Amino acid sequence: MNSDDLATADPSPNRPAGGILPWRRVALLYAVGLLVTLVPLLLLSRNFFWLNIITYTYLFAGLAVAWNIIAGFGGQFSLGHGVFFAIGAYTTARLFLDWEISPWLGLLPGAIACAVVGPLIFWPTFRLKGSFFAIATLAFNEVALVLANYLESVTGGPRGLQVPFRAAFKNMIFTDPRAYTVLMFVFMAIAVGISIVLMRSRLGYYLLAVREDEDAARAAGISVIQVKLRATALSAALTAIGGGLFAMYIRTIDPLTLFSLPDIGVKFALLSLIGGMGTITGPVLGAFLIIPLESYLRAVFGGSGPGVHLILLGFVMLLAALFMRRGVAGAIDSLRQHWRHRRSA
Amino acid sequence: MSEPFLQVRGAVKRFGGLTAVNDVSFDVRRGEIVSIIGPNGAGKTTLFNLLTGQLKPTAGDVSLNGQVINALPPERRARLGLGRTFQIAKPLLTLTALENAMVGSFLHHSRLHDAEAKAHQMLIEVGLDRRAHVRAAQLTLSERRRLEVARALALEPSLMLLDEVMAGLNQSEVQDSIDLFRRLNGAGLTFLIIEHNLKVVRAFSERVIVIDRGAKIAEGTAEQILTNPEVVTAYLGRRRG
Ligand SMILES: Nc1ncnc2c1ncn2[C@@H]1O[C@H](COP(=O)(O)OP(=O)(O)O)[C@@H](O)[C@H]1O
Ligand SMILES: [Mg+2]
Repeated sequence: MNSDDLATADPSPNRPAGGILPWRRVALLYAVGLLVTLVPLLLLSRNFFWLNIITYTYLFAGLAVAWNIIAGFGGQFSLGHGVFFAIGAYTTARLFLDWEISPWLGLLPGAIACAVVGPLIFWPTFRLKGSFFAIATLAFNEVALVLANYLESVTGGPRGLQVPFRAAFKNMIFTDPRAYTVLMFVFMAIAVGISIVLMRSRLGYYLLAVREDEDAARAAGISVIQVKLRATALSAALTAIGGGLFAMYIRTIDPLTLFSLPDIGVKFALLSLIGGMGTITGPVLGAFLIIPLESYLRAVFGGSGPGVHLILLGFVMLLAALFMRRGVAGAIDSLRQHWRHRRSA
Repeated sequence: MSEPFLQVRGAVKRFGGLTAVNDVSFDVRRGEIVSIIGPNGAGKTTLFNLLTGQLKPTAGDVSLNGQVINALPPERRARLGLGRTFQIAKPLLTLTALENAMVGSFLHHSRLHDAEAKAHQMLIEVGLDRRAHVRAAQLTLSERRRLEVARALALEPSLMLLDEVMAGLNQSEVQDSIDLFRRLNGAGLTFLIIEHNLKVVRAFSERVIVIDRGAKIAEGTAEQILTNPEVVTAYLGRRRG
């Protein structure tokens, strides 16, 4: 907050140029960033406890990045993304179980379905603002949970679906757990890449405009509803792909897992909030902080009673909410501006 | 050329029992500069919002280029060449000044660097280029007003609707704005402006429309209007301090 004031006060005409980076710089930053996120994998690839955590970290980083497209950039705080995640998981698993369709292909129908279903179900809710939108989308998650339990022929009902362990590349089932880690890493890299391209496109700018002021956006020739629907389609499709990958990784999916609020639907939001909503790095940072911490706390305190790790995690999130209103990415940004000011002073 | 560019016929807007705009008709021809004046609360901004599509008229027609645009939402009107500013500026706060202008320039430039170049040019026009990379939240009120103009100009409109954009600007900024608008008008841009500063109105506009209590009470050249006794009592007599 204070750093914002400092930036205003900065009279220096040699203020470091912000502006739009050329593609080459962006590609370089992207590559360096990905290399940094690879470090934990390289360091801990022999430890299966940590390898599993890193795998989830990459997966949820990608999912938080996907959520952030409509929620962070577009300002539409969805708590209904568990639905897209579940559609992706069920579709991929079902196609593999029933028709032996390779999950590499089976990811796509779920993604396409969500690119259609997402805009359709969000359309009526887009007239709702702020927390009303969040609550309405949360209701989608709960309705979908009931449906998933009921539609036994598709979802396997409460017992869920089991994917048999038949290791083969085309089955996306691997004996070496590191293969899954790499898979999730690639998912995260693709999600981040898509976000970068999006935010350097007209649609990306329009999303920000819609988030900031719908009337101003309209006056600039922007069709607010169209922008929201397109971003929803993209966000939902990516989330479905994450769901499909999740299904192939754990190979047992049931409604209570897929529609869990703390573990799925609300998790995307929490990771992005902690890391910094509406930035590209924020959701990734959030996942890298929270997923390992949570898994570690669960492992260490899981024995001392149910929910102890959740209480500790909640405490961390409370601190973040109190002291880092713009998330970790926002805090880093403030520090950088502060530092820059100190240097130029 | 003789066909009016913007045509307003019998525009009415009621808010419940209040008639904010009462049967207003006027034309704006291509290349003109027309001012709307009138006391506070006369209904100028409401009339504007009927033109931009921000509000739906209770009755009456608005046409642009001979096409009735009553049913078009604001974004469609913007794409038809209607640029506007808001009386209470609406900066996109977390975006930089440049990005704000880019939101406008993307309308006709789909490529990032083209949109950036156009936006930067607009910031230079309004004298904000040195603040290009500052977040709009950190801009002063006068800078926000100018940013509003830059974003609208970045749409490359054929008709600009300006709602009191000079308010809060100092004398040299007002002069700069007048120069800018004159230059743009010379290049073919049509202006319809709501303006309180009568010096600006006199210096700048070819035709003046006076609105009082929702109705059009006079229309003519700046000279005719500013010496018209009815206008003087309606407008100057109850002018805000
Ligand atoms: N959305 C609205 N709802 C109800 N009344 C409004 C609304 N907008 C404006 N008004 C009223 O309409 C009248 C004209 O307002 P406005 O057009 O803003 O005047 P001006 O721009 O000439 O100062 C005022 O009495 C104002 O209170
Ligand atoms: Mg007004």
